[in-house]
Formats: sequence, C-alpha cells, structure tokens
Amino acid sequence: MLREWKTEWMKLRRRKVGMLLLAFLGFTGLWCAWVLSDADPEDLIDGYRWVFANLSMINTILLPTMIAMMASRICDMEIKGNTLKLICTMEKKGRLFDMKVLTGGLYLVLYVAAELALLYLGGLAYGFGNPIQLRHVLYFAIQNVPVSLVLYLLQMMLSFWFENQIIPLAAGIFGSFIGLFSWFFSDTNLFRWIFVWGHYSLLHFIGNTWDEETRIVTYYNVEPNWAALCLVLAVLIGGYLVSKYLFVRKEI
Amino acid sequence: MKYIVETKGLCKSYGNKQVVRNVDLKVPKGCVYGFMGPNGAGKSTTLKMLLGLIKASSGKAEIAGKEMNQKNRLEILRETGSLIESPSYYGHLTGRENLEIVRTLKNAPEKEVDQVLKLVRIERQQNKKAREYSLGMKQRLGLAAALIGRPELLILDEPTNGLDPAGIQEIRELICELPKRMGITVLVSSHLLSEMDQMADYVGIINHGQLIFQDKLDALHEHSKSKLLLRVMNRTVTLKILENNGVEGRVTEEGILIPGFSDDRTAALVSALAEGGAGLYRIEERQKSLEDIFLSLTGRRESL
Repeated sequence: MLREWKTEWMKLRRRKVGMLLLAFLGFTGLWCAWVLSDADPEDLIDGYRWVFANLSMINTILLPTMIAMMASRICDMEIKGNTLKLICTMEKKGRLFDMKVLTGGLYLVLYVAAELALLYLGGLAYGFGNPIQLRHVLYFAIQNVPVSLVLYLLQMMLSFWFENQIIPLAAGIFGSFIGLFSWFFSDTNLFRWIFVWGHYSLLHFIGNTWDEETRIVTYYNVEPNWAALCLVLAVLIGGYLVSKYLFVRKEI
Repeated sequence: MKYIVETKGLCKSYGNKQVVRNVDLKVPKGCVYGFMGPNGAGKSTTLKMLLGLIKASSGKAEIAGKEMNQKNRLEILRETGSLIESPSYYGHLTGRENLEIVRTLKNAPEKEVDQVLKLVRIERQQNKKAREYSLGMKQRLGLAAALIGRPELLILDEPTNGLDPAGIQEIRELICELPKRMGITVLVSSHLLSEMDQMADYVGIINHGQLIFQDKLDALHEHSKSKLLLRVMNRTVTLKILENNGVEGRVTEEGILIPGFSDDRTAALVSALAEGGAGLYRIEERQKSLEDIFLSLTGRRESL
C-alpha cells in the first residue's frame, strides 16, 4: 500500500495541485479581507462568527470549481496517457481508486485546515474581541470536509469518464451556482437537500438576521442540521461504494 | 514442451457478439511467439485477457504454470511486462520519472532504470518530458517500462505501430535479442506478416476470434509448397502430355500451374513436353508467400 501511495505522489509532480489550492486560499483570504473592510469596530468584537458565516458562503461558491480542477489534475493524467492498462497490471484497480480518493481527500482536509489557520491568524491581525470558539472550528470542518469529499468523488468519476476535461470543469462551475442559490432557500426547501452542492448551506452553523431599517446584520449560533449531516455521510459512503464499483468494473 | 502461456477455451463475448472463441494458445518458453491476425480478429482482446485487464467470459489462462485468477493476478504479472496498443506514459513527467513509477510499483532495484534506458537507447532523452518524445521514443519508453523487473514474459501488442522504417527495424532487433540475451519469452502481436517472418519462432493465427493455426514458423512455411508455372505455345497438347504423365495441371492466365517435383522428375517432364510439341518456352518456380498462406488461412484480403 505504501508503494502505491508513494507512486501517487510521484505522479503528481509538476501537476501544481498545491499551487492551485494556494491560489484559491489566497483568493478566499482576499475576499474575507474585503468583507472585513466594511466592518465596524463593534462587528470586529465578534469577528470570528462574522467571518465563519461569510466563509461558509464563499466556500460554497469556490470549492465546487476548485474541486473540479483538483480532481482533473489528479485523475486526467491516467486517461490522457493511457496508463491504466499499464498501471493495472501492477496495482489493483480498486487500490488505485482508493489512492486517488485518499490523495484528494488529504488535499481537501489540508485546505480546510489552512482556511482555519488563515482565519485564526486574520483574527489576531484584525484584533477580534471574542476568542475563536472550538465548536465553530469543529462545525466548520463538519460542514466543509464531508460535502467536499462527496463532490470530489463525483468530479473524480467525471474526470475518469471524459477525456475532454471541459465537461467535469463545467459540472464544477454549475455546482458553484447551485451552491450559491441554495443559500436563498430555507432548510426545509428540497432544493438544498436534492443537490449535493447545496449541502454546504444545509450544514450551516451560524444564522443571521437582517434589520432593514438599521441595515444591521446580526449573526447568531445555530445547531447544525444533524439529519442533513447523516444524509451527507450516507451519500459519501454510498457514493464511494458506487463510484469504486463502476471504476473497477469498467474494462480497459 | 514447457509453455509459459497456455490458455484453454478462452472466450470473450460482448452481448451476443463473441469476439474470442475457444482460443487455446500455447507459447513455448524462451521463444518469440508471433500472434497474427487481421485487424479486429481478437488479438488485443486475447492479450488483455492474459493480463487480466478484461475478464474472460469463459476458459482459463495459465502463465508460468499458474492458473490466473483475480487473487493471484498481480503476483503472476509481477514476472510479466506488457505494452498494449499505444504506449502508456505520464506526459508531464520525464522518461526517467515514468520508469521510476513502474520500478517503485514493481519493487525492482534502482539500477534497473538505467539498464532499461540503455537497452532501449533513450538514456540521452531520459530527462525530457515524455509528451515531448516522438512516437518512436514513446514506444521505446513503453518497452523500457515493460522490461523493468526483468520479466520472464513480455507481452507486446503491435509494438511497431506508427513507427518509421528505422524505428521498426530497431524494435524488431530488440525483440529478437531479448530471448537470447535475457531469456525473456516474447509474445508479440502484429498484423504485418513480413514482421513476423523476421522475428517469430512460433506463430499463432487468429481470425474472427478463432485460433486457426499455431505452430513453428517453419511449419507455416511448409504450407507454401512450391509450384511450377509452365509457359507454353500449345496448352491443349501440354495438358494432354501432363495427363499422360499423371500430373495435374491448372490453367491460369499466365500459363499452366503444376505441383513442384524433384529435379529428376522435372527434367523428365520437360523432355516429354519438348518431344510432344507443347512449345515450352519457359518454366518458373512459384513459391507461396507467407502472405498468401495467411490469406488462404483467413480468407480475408481486405484488411491486409
């Protein structure tokens, strides 16, 4: 297993996956900085909650496209170079699939961790009054990692199936729009439940109220939708099993 | 005889279409085995089944005496190198990096990368990205990858496809060297008969998914018994004389075709024809080419 894991990283040389993620992280950081530029000193007291609420929405918009690009960079080389017929004489097809999932999964976990680190450092730099809450960190990870993994599995399959990588990329961009729209619906609306890209909004953990007269937004804690988390985890496990079955079954 | 590859009743169907039917391959150890057939005859499918890349509908395959199944497939294939259809490579990596991946997966010693680079003569281009290689170089890179791990068996599917004449010659020489130099058995497929004639010790011919011939190359050549073409002024008289001498003649556009005989009998026949007034002015020996044999076996002309 270690040999296969090592070769996955050897294959990723010059694919610039890390650079891609850094670019998205930088863009996210700039976006958050722009959001904070409007903040009053009182807003900054509860700055972490403020940024967590905005970052959830930014991720809903950016992550589907980023995941599509990342999955393409990890998987399309096997299709473009006709390498499956060589690699699969040395490595089990199922193992190759797992290695790709693990590689992408690790990148996603690192990305979410980097976002949290950036947020924490940003908080120190801006002098947020209240300290960062551990449960917000945990909820943020729960909101972003499982949903992103589901999207990664979907994008992986698209990248393996289509030689032309425009199709998976288009799916990613489509997902970004769906994700954004899902924020306009309530938790009870089917739109949020049906589309996997909408599950980011389904797992939100900070609510807000908008006072039209004072034009003040107030952020408050909400309990994450645990039923939605169960759904996401079920989709993740089911998605993994189905996509692995399809990948292994496909003849070379 | 010891066979390194032996299949029994190997079949592959897609829906109702049977693309490989009861193929019983027998590849002797230490030879170059040419697997011939027209395009679409089932060569690649058979080779892919041997490598476990596609699942056989029925039948079994043994490699090095071990029956292959999903559990022991990789263990058996550890002793096998392959190059199926177009070469496999990671374009963004250098030739050397590509080979390092194969070496790591095969758990072969580090020095083998240098050895195979030298063997296929791409050591100077080893640090160039594979996507910048010419087709010939890519093919050689694929061959180098197949040779890593010092396999006992090398399975090559149309390895000279798309190469220029010089490249074809180079690959051909390399393939011929492998059994002698490294003790590797080579199972190579091609639809080019001339290529097989220069490389193979044994041949198998597949057509419409069925193995229609399998033996030594010499045995295939024996199918091409020579014939004599008689060019005469008087065909009627000639046929009469041939009949009187117990020889069956067939009239063609060019003359009269008779079976080849020993020198003594040919001399006697020529005398009889001269004396009988056949007007014999030329005798030509006609050897059936390998291509003719192949065509008579497969009954296909269009795909060659």
